[in-house]
Amino acid sequence: MATLNEAILSLDRLPALPSTSVRLVAMLANGGTRADLREVEAVIRADESVVASVLRLANSAAFGTPGRTFSLGEAVRRLGTRTLAKIALETQVSGRLADAGVSYGLRRGSLAESAIGGAIAAETLARRHRVDPELAFVAALLRDIGKLAIDAIAGPDALERIAAQAEARPFLAFEREAFGADHAELGAILCERWGLPAEIVRAVRGHHEPPSPGTDPVTDVVHAADCVARWAGLGLGCDGLLYTFDAGARERLATTRDELEALVADVHSALAPAGINGFSSGLPNTRNAA
Amino acid sequence: MSRSPTTPLSFTSKPDAPRALELDRGARDRVVVGVADLAVSKDPTKSIITYALGSCIGVTLYDPIAKIGGMLHFMLPDSSVSPDKAVANPPMFGDLGIPLLFQKVTEAGARRDRLIVCAAGGAEVLADDGHFRIGNRNRTILRKIFWKHNLLVSAEDTGGQHSRTMTLRLADGAIQLRVQGKESQLWPR
Repeated sequence: MATLNEAILSLDRLPALPSTSVRLVAMLANGGTRADLREVEAVIRADESVVASVLRLANSAAFGTPGRTFSLGEAVRRLGTRTLAKIALETQVSGRLADAGVSYGLRRGSLAESAIGGAIAAETLARRHRVDPELAFVAALLRDIGKLAIDAIAGPDALERIAAQAEARPFLAFEREAFGADHAELGAILCERWGLPAEIVRAVRGHHEPPSPGTDPVTDVVHAADCVARWAGLGLGCDGLLYTFDAGARERLATTRDELEALVADVHSALAPAGINGFSSGLPNTRNAA
Repeated sequence: MSRSPTTPLSFTSKPDAPRALELDRGARDRVVVGVADLAVSKDPTKSIITYALGSCIGVTLYDPIAKIGGMLHFMLPDSSVSPDKAVANPPMFGDLGIPLLFQKVTEAGARRDRLIVCAAGGAEVLADDGHFRIGNRNRTILRKIFWKHNLLVSAEDTGGQHSRTMTLRLADGAIQLRVQGKESQLWPR
């Protein structure tokens, strides 16, 4: 069993989020204005995988000009700052998460796919519930980043062994017992260290257990989005569905069963073109056009 | 069809979807069913597998004489929540996917009166205040439809909070489950 101290120390061994990702988060948190376009373009040009994602989206059916292929410069102008920043961040974060979650028994790419699925759900919910959609998107994308720390502390099947013996109770409690901190807390500490905005740190920390009484709508949205992603079958490792849907968050969001089920269907469909089974590249797809 | 170029015997609901699972790359004996997906095969050298059944349910139909089998991985009980997805992707929903699975296995030559039905999944989040209960409602639609078709579920492992992996072996209809790293056989018992 690791202690809180070891858990925190393990964070030091994790590579930092690229500084360009941190900049992208800051831009999105400030609404992604036109003034940021040049900087986003520079980030994109410096990263081949992001260039590929941007070109793929700009030339996808959603932007449909059949028979025409857009250059990177044209793509940048067509997509606009916010969409570009989201694609760039999504590509970088999912690259980072590609191999994460082994201690949860997750297959390669699962956690990245779940991050993106949750981000889509959070953005949609945020729009409906008058919460900043960019903040919700980023926080949901990063919500499980603390699982990188758990991977670093736990052996490949340590969590599976713990979970197999246990009765039904929140998985976060197992993590706290075994490692001194859960993945939500460790993720929040990481986001704090990377200098991300406080709203994002709070939402990552509270994404399974939103604070009550709730004063933080971004956290509520990310919490609901996490459940939506689980219902869509995303990111299910040995932790399975050992999480709660907080009644307070549900009431504050005034969300209905039909709304969330339709969102489950939407999230699945948004990911499917990228291959829900064969997810490996982390490339985003046409949903960013919305 | 990237999944089984050598077997025109197999049907999948999404023939064009990319299929190359890291773990299954090169494993030609497996047909992988994604979330909101179904597959039917009469190739006895193959198994049909689906991963990460949480609140979703995996349903298998198998004719032991013809050795024809199919698997559905449905996500939600009722297609009325999303009419456009109902059209685009019927295996997403129990109310459409289960009848479609029936149709596909019987079209492939399976006989209704010989079908062995198994199901796994339908897990629930710990406490959702009784409000959503997607796993529970997935289990209900499953029972309703089989009752309507006058068929009994031979074996099922549903509920709880864990994620399950389900495999149907076409040679003999055996159903294997993997839950929390442990393998078990669901059918025959």
